[in-house]
Amino acid sequence: MKLHNKHRNVELIINQELLEKISQLGIDHYPNEFGGFLIGKYSDDYNTLFITDYILPKSYKGSRSLFERSAKGTKSLFSKLFKIKKEIYVGEWHTHPNGSTRYSDIDLRAMINIESSPSVNIKNPVLLILSVSEKKLNQATFYIYENKKLIPYE
Amino acid sequence: MATDKHEHLETVLETHRMTHVQNLVDKFKEKRNEVKQALANHYGSDIYYPFDSGSFKKHTAINTKFDLDVVVPFKKDSFDTLDKMFDSLNDFLDDEYGEIATIRKQKVSIGIIFDEDDDGDVINLDIVPGRELNKDQYSADNKLNLFVYSKYGLFSSSTYIQTNIQAQIDHIKAKENERKIIRLLKIWNNNDGKEYKSFLLELFTIKAFDKEDISGNIWEKLEKVMEYIKDNATKDGFKLIDPGNSNNDLMDTLESWGKTNLSNRMETIIERINSNSDNIKSYFPTNKDFEDDDKSSSSVGYGIKTGGTAYSTPPKNERFG
Repeated sequence: MKLHNKHRNVELIINQELLEKISQLGIDHYPNEFGGFLIGKYSDDYNTLFITDYILPKSYKGSRSLFERSAKGTKSLFSKLFKIKKEIYVGEWHTHPNGSTRYSDIDLRAMINIESSPSVNIKNPVLLILSVSEKKLNQATFYIYENKKLIPYE
Repeated sequence: MATDKHEHLETVLETHRMTHVQNLVDKFKEKRNEVKQALANHYGSDIYYPFDSGSFKKHTAINTKFDLDVVVPFKKDSFDTLDKMFDSLNDFLDDEYGEIATIRKQKVSIGIIFDEDDDGDVINLDIVPGRELNKDQYSADNKLNLFVYSKYGLFSSSTYIQTNIQAQIDHIKAKENERKIIRLLKIWNNNDGKEYKSFLLELFTIKAFDKEDISGNIWEKLEKVMEYIKDNATKDGFKLIDPGNSNNDLMDTLESWGKTNLSNRMETIIERINSNSDNIKSYFPTNKDFEDDDKSSSSVGYGIKTGGTAYSTPPKNERFG
């Protein structure tokens, strides 16, 4: 699946099978929110982001309207991914059970924190929000972060 | 049109990022690991395992001039004297790599400059031998005595210096704002004849952040740090204490005229940039080799922050709703 963000004129590519795997994880945790980290790599010209994988948090809390994850214990995984596959942390994903894929103020705040974190060296992390119901994925929307804004891909 | 100083400095940092030369960095690291292993094999229980230091470890490296530093902590009983330790390391490296590299004694280290490889790349490593200050205490106190090779200037009357390299590394840990300013000052310094030690500029910057309100955009921060250097370099009693040795004042590495010169240079740079923003380009040039790669200040493409590590790790805890 290839998506385009007009604002920064960038593309995001994710394999359908990977998106389905992520969705299924979200559905499995229904009716609570669930999520994790997105892994990927940029093209040499930095115009395309390939989402290649995901990492699940080792500890998290999920309720019907909130998902809180910790990155504790994942540092070595990110290091290994970079060393072995040159793949890096590129953003976050989480579900909105029975909700829309519109981001919340809490989501935006989290992304502001993430981009401004000294341990994060990307300026445009992406956020994937999946609307899920008990048995299926309703919709998935990717957003690109820029200057305290989240702008959807089409 | 006037130059946007903030934007220009962001581009300067971006074009000097180490990730632009990632393949070369990987080669450096591979060689460094090979040398560390060779040292461990040769010296065995006479040393603690060699560790990395220098600008790479401190995340203040820039891609126009860099080497990798390795510290070899020798045990107290390994050698009678520090000069024997220094000579032994020099001889070992010469035996091991002399046919494929130039080995040379430097002020406190042995330099290895490997011959150019098939890609035309030259790998430089600085190997710093240090002997633990107190027997069997290195793991606890990190204190080392370094031999100072007497051929070199200011320490000519002394043959050793006590230091704590780990404390120096810790001193700059998690200080990303300071690191950006240090990188910029190193870029200026390298572009201007490399008159000043990077460590001196590093300590000046950290102290400025510590003592003054250094805030605003990247130009505003740099300007405030340069003002701090201008105001303090010639001040009587002003010290820059080495975090690795409280008796080592880096200001002592500058003679009186050097202090005045540094202060005047800072004043001139600030004045000239404020009178004409285009002048910023001559003091803080971009690395032209990587200008085309720069996406950080562009409104298109995915952006990468300046400096820092090659990959990100997400912040510890985040909440989504």
